[in-house]
Amino acid sequence: MEPEHNNERPAERASEKTYAGMTRRTLCLGVGGAAVMLGLGGLTFVGSTPLVRPPGGQDEEHLMSACIRCEKCFEICPHDIIQPAHIEDGILGMRTPTLKFSQSWCDWCKEANGGEPLCVKVCPTEALKLPVDATPETTILGKAVLNRDLCLAYKLTGCRFCYDACPYEAMGLDEANRPYVIEDPCNGCGACESVCVSLQNGSISQGTNRRAIVIEPYEEGR
Amino acid sequence: MKAKTLRVVIPLAVMAVIAVGFYLNTGVGTLSAIGWADVSLLCPLGALAAMLASKSIVPQAVISLVIAVAAIVVLGRAFCAWVCPVPIVSKLRGLFSKGKTTGSGEDAGGAVGAATATTSDAAVAPLSASEKALLSKGSGCASCREKRGAVDSRHFVLGGALLSAAIFGFPVFCLVCPIGLTFATILLVMLLFSNGDVTWSVVVIPALLLVEVVFFRKWCSKLCPLSAFMSLIGKANRTFRPAVDESACLETSKGATCGTCATVCTEGIDPRHPELGANWSECTKCRACVEACPAHAISLPLLPRKRSSEGTPALDSVDEVAQQR
Repeated sequence: MEPEHNNERPAERASEKTYAGMTRRTLCLGVGGAAVMLGLGGLTFVGSTPLVRPPGGQDEEHLMSACIRCEKCFEICPHDIIQPAHIEDGILGMRTPTLKFSQSWCDWCKEANGGEPLCVKVCPTEALKLPVDATPETTILGKAVLNRDLCLAYKLTGCRFCYDACPYEAMGLDEANRPYVIEDPCNGCGACESVCVSLQNGSISQGTNRRAIVIEPYEEGR
Repeated sequence: MKAKTLRVVIPLAVMAVIAVGFYLNTGVGTLSAIGWADVSLLCPLGALAAMLASKSIVPQAVISLVIAVAAIVVLGRAFCAWVCPVPIVSKLRGLFSKGKTTGSGEDAGGAVGAATATTSDAAVAPLSASEKALLSKGSGCASCREKRGAVDSRHFVLGGALLSAAIFGFPVFCLVCPIGLTFATILLVMLLFSNGDVTWSVVVIPALLLVEVVFFRKWCSKLCPLSAFMSLIGKANRTFRPAVDESACLETSKGATCGTCATVCTEGIDPRHPELGANWSECTKCRACVEACPAHAISLPLLPRKRSSEGTPALDSVDEVAQQR
């Protein structure tokens, strides 16, 4: 890359002491580079926020061990809901796949691929990998959490978009027709979050950047 | 089109195709796993690191590794010159050094110009005694070249990256790989505008990329573990190796001093006197020497030509020294 590099060669060879054929500078650079690589490995001990992962990414340890940040799953997702994790969620997990339900939700590619998630299908390192008997019902991506302070229905506007959107009968309506989450059947598909209008249609709390119903990461035994 | 232009156009086209593919959800992937839908050719380093980290054998990763090794045996480090986006990104260096010597591209161009100018002046001047001595001295160091060719700082980074992946259980180098960061930047900017996906990553990732390849000028030749991997496998490469036509070369046909091919080579190879420069396994098949040669004596033949004086330089003195060793 650098032509001047060639010019210094003969001088280097004549005057500098070499170690296994390398100049001291090369050796230091190499050892330094290797040390940085090992140091970066230590990031694994830095904590990261739990995230909502695409289908097959529920085993966090396996996902982190095999994901090479190739971006293939982001690209293939027909609903464009797989997006790179932000640096704010932890340096280690940066650019790994997460689900963002602002536009759409995960239907396991029912229309696009007959119910086999394309992200799992294209993942070249099998970082996203589903157990053989996995179904949308048994694969818990996250759990819906409804924030009553932000929910328009709790201002008695009669909004029930999330209730109507839920494909897994995980939403109920109380006596005042206000929606609530039935946690057990909820698998975190994001249909409710994707249709929630609390932000667009006059959020009550100023400065909020989240919808009234959002999918939060699910940890077993929580 | 000249190779120098093509070496800019092709990586830009690759980036454009990947960006369009991303926009259209086609599944072409990035250079980390390029392909079509569920068929991808993985980055060999990513494939190795992912398998080491997850302690499992992934069929697609193994197949990709085999294909990558085969491709490197045939094409050497051609990826570095023709496909990799990093040399393009590192051209941004020109923006940070106004007035001074600019990016590597112009640097190399300037060097070619200068070298050609001196060549035309000195084209017919025979080698002086001291120059011959210098050449033979260089070849006298053929034994130390062997050792130098074996490993350098890149190989330490490669070893460190794979070891770290195995110990800590995640593909460590992928976090900072400038090729990955280039495509991550493209993706994040697209997401920023299409989805309003606001994150500090969109600042941090390009900044990291710039630090690596713009301020760290010798990334490719000193640190890149992918380059190290290719140079290791590239030792088996015999095809497309620059070959000097001795009947045309100014040094052999006219006894002139030239050395243009060695000057323009960004990898430090001396095609005329291979024992003086870097190992052949560093060749990126960039064609700079082919295009710079004032006598058009260099070509990149598919198979190595049978030469009357196999592998020996043309100068008698050098010959003798080589035989003594």
